[in-house]
Amino acid sequence: MQWSLSEEQSAYRQALRDWLGDVAPTEAVRGWLDAADHTTFTKRFVADGFWGVGVAEDLGGQGGGLVELALTAEELGRHAAPSASWLATLLAVPALAAAPAARAEVLAGAGAALLVAAESIVPGPVPVTVDDAGRVSGTVPRVLAGGEARFLVVPARGAAGMTLRLVEATDPGVRLARRELLDRSRSVADVVLSDAASEPLAVAAGEVLAQAANRAAVLVAADSLGATERMLELAVAYSGQRRQFGVPIGSFQAVKHAAATIMVGVEAARSVIYLAAASVHGGDPRAVLHAAAAKAQVTAEGARAADTALTLHGAIGYTWEHDLHLFYKRAKLDEWLFGSPTAWNEVLADALALA
Amino acid sequence: MDFDLTDEQATIRRAVAELAAKFDDQYWADKDAAHEFPTEFYRAFADGGWLGITIPEEYGGHGFGITEASLLLEEVAASGGGMNAASSMHLSIFGMHPVIVHGSDELKRENLPRIVTGDLHVCFGVTEPGAGLDTTRITTFARRDGSDYIINGRKVWISKALESEKILLLTRTTRFEDVSRKTEGLTLFLTDLDRDHVDIRPIRKMGRNAVSSNELFIDDLRVPAAHRVGEEGQGFRYILDGLNPERMLIAAEALGLGRAALRRAVRYGNEREVFGRPIGKNQGLQFPLADSLARLDAAELALRKATWLYDHGRPCAREANTAKYLCADAAFQAADRALQTHGGMGYAEEYHVARYFREARLLRIAPLSQEMVLNYLGEHVLGLPRSY
Repeated sequence: MQWSLSEEQSAYRQALRDWLGDVAPTEAVRGWLDAADHTTFTKRFVADGFWGVGVAEDLGGQGGGLVELALTAEELGRHAAPSASWLATLLAVPALAAAPAARAEVLAGAGAALLVAAESIVPGPVPVTVDDAGRVSGTVPRVLAGGEARFLVVPARGAAGMTLRLVEATDPGVRLARRELLDRSRSVADVVLSDAASEPLAVAAGEVLAQAANRAAVLVAADSLGATERMLELAVAYSGQRRQFGVPIGSFQAVKHAAATIMVGVEAARSVIYLAAASVHGGDPRAVLHAAAAKAQVTAEGARAADTALTLHGAIGYTWEHDLHLFYKRAKLDEWLFGSPTAWNEVLADALALA
Repeated sequence: MDFDLTDEQATIRRAVAELAAKFDDQYWADKDAAHEFPTEFYRAFADGGWLGITIPEEYGGHGFGITEASLLLEEVAASGGGMNAASSMHLSIFGMHPVIVHGSDELKRENLPRIVTGDLHVCFGVTEPGAGLDTTRITTFARRDGSDYIINGRKVWISKALESEKILLLTRTTRFEDVSRKTEGLTLFLTDLDRDHVDIRPIRKMGRNAVSSNELFIDDLRVPAAHRVGEEGQGFRYILDGLNPERMLIAAEALGLGRAALRRAVRYGNEREVFGRPIGKNQGLQFPLADSLARLDAAELALRKATWLYDHGRPCAREANTAKYLCADAAFQAADRALQTHGGMGYAEEYHVARYFREARLLRIAPLSQEMVLNYLGEHVLGLPRSY
C-alpha cells in the first residue's frame, strides 16, 4: 500500500504554512491571546481564502475534503492559531447541506457552531428540546466557539425524535456566557436557549452527527500533531543551545532518547491521521475505528509529548516568556476536545467482540 | 523508627547468603536446563537447620517469624538461585502454617519434625482448572466413608508435586450449591500423595524448571480423618490465614531475584566495552538500572513494614499485598533491564539473566496476579465497589 499527499495537497500545505508564518508568528498569536481577540485572525483567514478549503464546491466551498481539512488543522495547531471558529464552522457545515442561504453566509465568514459540549464525542448528551412551534430551549455548556458563531446548529429532541435545528445567535432567545480556557488559543461558551426561534435542517440528523464525531476526532488529532511537532522542534533547538557541565544538554542520551520518543509519536500520528482522514471522507465501513484510533492514540501521545518537551526545557519551559506553553496547552486541550482517549477507546472496545 | 535488622536477623541473612553462595549460577542453570530438583542445595539447607526457621521449637524448628523467613528466602533468591532455589523450600518454610495453628497434636508430631529435617517434601494443593483464583469454586470433593474420606477431583499448578510425599489439600466436603455462605464447606487435609490414586503430570512451562509445576488427577484417594486439618468445613478460613505470609514471602523472593538481576547488569555494564568505553557510561543504560535500584529499595521498605506488622500481630493485608505488587514489578523490570543491558548476550543462557527474566515474569502472575492485588486494594483498602 502506498498513500501520500498529492502534489496539490503538498502545495496547499506549504502555502498555508508560509501564510501562517507571515500572519501568525508567535508574537502575533500572543498579541491576539492577550487581547482575547480571535476575530482578527479569523477575518484574515477568511479574506485570504483558506476558510472554504475542504468544503465541496457544490456546497459553495473551494473543494477538497477531510484530508485538506486535516492538513489545515495540523498547520493551525503547529502555529497555535486561534482557530476554534474555523473548526466549529467546518464541523457544522455538513448540517447546512439543505440550507443554502445560511451556508453561503457561513462560508463567507459568518461562522457556525454545532451545539454540543466541547468535551463530548458528538453529539454527547442532547439537553435541548424543540416545541411544535419550532422554539428551542435548553442549556448546552462549553460549546466550542459558541461565542464566535453567527449560526448555531442545534441537535434537539421533539415529537419527531432528534432533529437538527438552525438558530441565529442574534435571536433574543439566545444567551451566551463565555468561559475561560487554560488554552487561550481556543474559546468555549455556555449557550442558553429560551424559546429561541429555529428552522428545521432537512438532513438526516443521526448520520450527520455521527460523521461530525469522526471528523472532529480526525481534526483534533491533526491539531495535536501540529502542536507536538512544533514542541519537538522547540525542544531540539533548545537542547542544542543550552549548555550544562560544559556541553549542550542535547548531548546527553537521556535527552536524545526523550526527543526521539516524541518523534516516534509524531510519525505514528501522521500515519494514522491521514489514513483516518481518507477513510472517514471516503465512507469506509471501518472509518469510525480509524477515527477513534487516531483521536485516542494521537492526542494521548501529544499530551505526553507536551510533558516530555517541558522536561527537556527545564524551568524556562514553565514560564510564559518561552513559547512552549502555547503548544503545551494546545496539546493538553486536544486530549480532551471532542472526546477523551478513554472515551474513544470505549468506542474501539465496543467495536470488538468483548463482553 | 528503627530500620536496622536485629543482630539475629543480620546473622541469619549473612549465614544464608554464605551457604547459598556455595551453589553458583552454573549449578542453577544446569538444574533448570535438566528439569532436575536441586537436591544438593535443598539438603544443604535442611542440614543447616534452615527449613524449620518458622516451625515451633517443640517440633524441632526455630520458631522465628515471617521477617526472618523472608530474609532467608530473599537471600536464597538473591544468590542467583532465583525461584528454583526459593521454590525448592518455599512450602517447608511457611506452608505448614495452617497445620501449626489448626492441626491436631498428632498431625503436628507426625509431620513437622520431618519438615525440619528435610525428610518430608510437601506441596500445596488449592488451585483447580475450573476455579482459578475464585477459590470457593473448587470442586475436588472429599466424601465421608466411615472413618475415612474418599477424594476425587483435579488440581492444577501444584508446585513440586512430583517431588512431594505429601500434599496440603483443599477440598469441598459440602458442594458449593449446598452451602449458605460460599466460604463454608471446604476442608483441608495433610495427606499422602498416593501415586496409585493421584496421577501427577508436569506442565511444560517457560521457566523455573528445576521445580515442577503439575496437574493432579485425583481418583478415589482414601484419606483417614486423622489427616484432616482442624474442623470439617473450615478449610477456607485456615487457608486464608496463610495468604498474607505467602504474599510477603513471594515478595521477598521477587526482591532477591531483582537484586540478582541488577547485580549482573551492573557487572556487565562495567565490563563490556563498545565504542571505546564501558556501556554503563551510556545514560540510556545507566538510568534504567539506577531507576530499578530505587524501585527495588522502595519495594524492600514496603516488604519490611509488612513482615514487621505481621510479626507484631497487627493487621497487614494492605502492606502484604502492596509488598507483593511492588516487589514483583520492581523485580521484573530489573530483570528486563538486565537483559536489555546484556544486548544479544542477555538472550543467551550463558549470562543467566534470561533465566532470571523468565522467573521474574512468573511473579507477576503467581501466586496471584498483580490485578488481583489491585482488586484487593481497591475494594478492601480504598472502599470502592467490588469490581469482579
